[in-house]
Amino acid sequence: MIRNWMFPIIAGLLVSAFAWQGVLLATPYALMSKAMDVIGARAPANSFAFGALATADNQPIVRPSPDLVYSSCVFDVSKGPVLVDVASVPGHYWSVSIFDARTDVAAVRSDRDTGGKPARLALMKTGQTAPQGYEPVTLQYDRGIALIRILLSSPAEYPVVDAIRRKSTCKQV
Amino acid sequence: MKTWHRFAACIALGLVGGAAFAVHQVRGDYADKQVHNGQWSANTNQGTASASALTRAKVALNGLLALPAKEAMYFITRTDSEGRPLEGRCTYTVTGGELDARWWSITLYKGEGWLVKNAANRWSVAGNAPARDAQGNWSFTVSLNPTEGVWLPTGGTPHFDLTLRTYHPRGALLNDPANAKLPTVTRKACA
Repeated sequence: MIRNWMFPIIAGLLVSAFAWQGVLLATPYALMSKAMDVIGARAPANSFAFGALATADNQPIVRPSPDLVYSSCVFDVSKGPVLVDVASVPGHYWSVSIFDARTDVAAVRSDRDTGGKPARLALMKTGQTAPQGYEPVTLQYDRGIALIRILLSSPAEYPVVDAIRRKSTCKQV
Repeated sequence: MKTWHRFAACIALGLVGGAAFAVHQVRGDYADKQVHNGQWSANTNQGTASASALTRAKVALNGLLALPAKEAMYFITRTDSEGRPLEGRCTYTVTGGELDARWWSITLYKGEGWLVKNAANRWSVAGNAPARDAQGNWSFTVSLNPTEGVWLPTGGTPHFDLTLRTYHPRGALLNDPANAKLPTVTRKACA
């Protein structure tokens, strides 16, 4: 009796281990893909979507901060590098972060890192070359999200900050 | 029972069991590099290539596009200082001192991390909002109805969590978050 069940049980345990690991591995890709779909619906690929302040009625992604202004670009480096130029917002915390399709952060640059100057990043895959003046960010995956965060001290600052952030660009070479 | 029946049953159980266990883990509290400090917990490995599959999945579910620790530390609590779940019908006082970061805020979320509708259209308290006493300590109220001073509405959601964001953290907040001085959440009353 036990011998009859031994190999099926071993097979079941192996399958359970694969299923467990498979779900864990697939979850970030699936959720990131969904986020890219949601954000990608707001602007074409390789261009920034300048989102409104997060509210209970405007939550494109989970756990948004209502104190930050978000601008997001769904990028695709499969056909060439994507250049991200981020306008500096004087007197405010701002950062640009590059997330790959697995949700890993490939790069983060804030006003602290640039000394208040604009950030200029070239997103690319291995074998591509960054144009002069751009900091290369080599990615493991073709697609991902570039996200700019700008902190507002109060919502009254929004019009001024909004005008500045719209100078930021995300474009394919 | 035929041999293939036994294999089919065990493989089907393994498939469902493995997937269900993964979902349970992703929705649960455990993750590697998870730091606990009183009722608060944080992850010091999020967003990094060295994060485990479990941590990556948990962050994707509960805080997609979160920044790595050197840029921002996120502390989350789902309970008050006595370990009771945070409830939207109750009144809480959040108290603390200066936090060693460039900027901080505390935001109220329901579920996996969604802002809660409320009449005041207020979802967070920024570090510069509460008044300080002579020692630099501050406090604000979390409750269903408006109160005096700085107030963060629960919107009546049955359960919620509080997320403390600290941008450009320094000192213990970044290097020893398990022992950093963090705010306390004290339950005062429940309706």
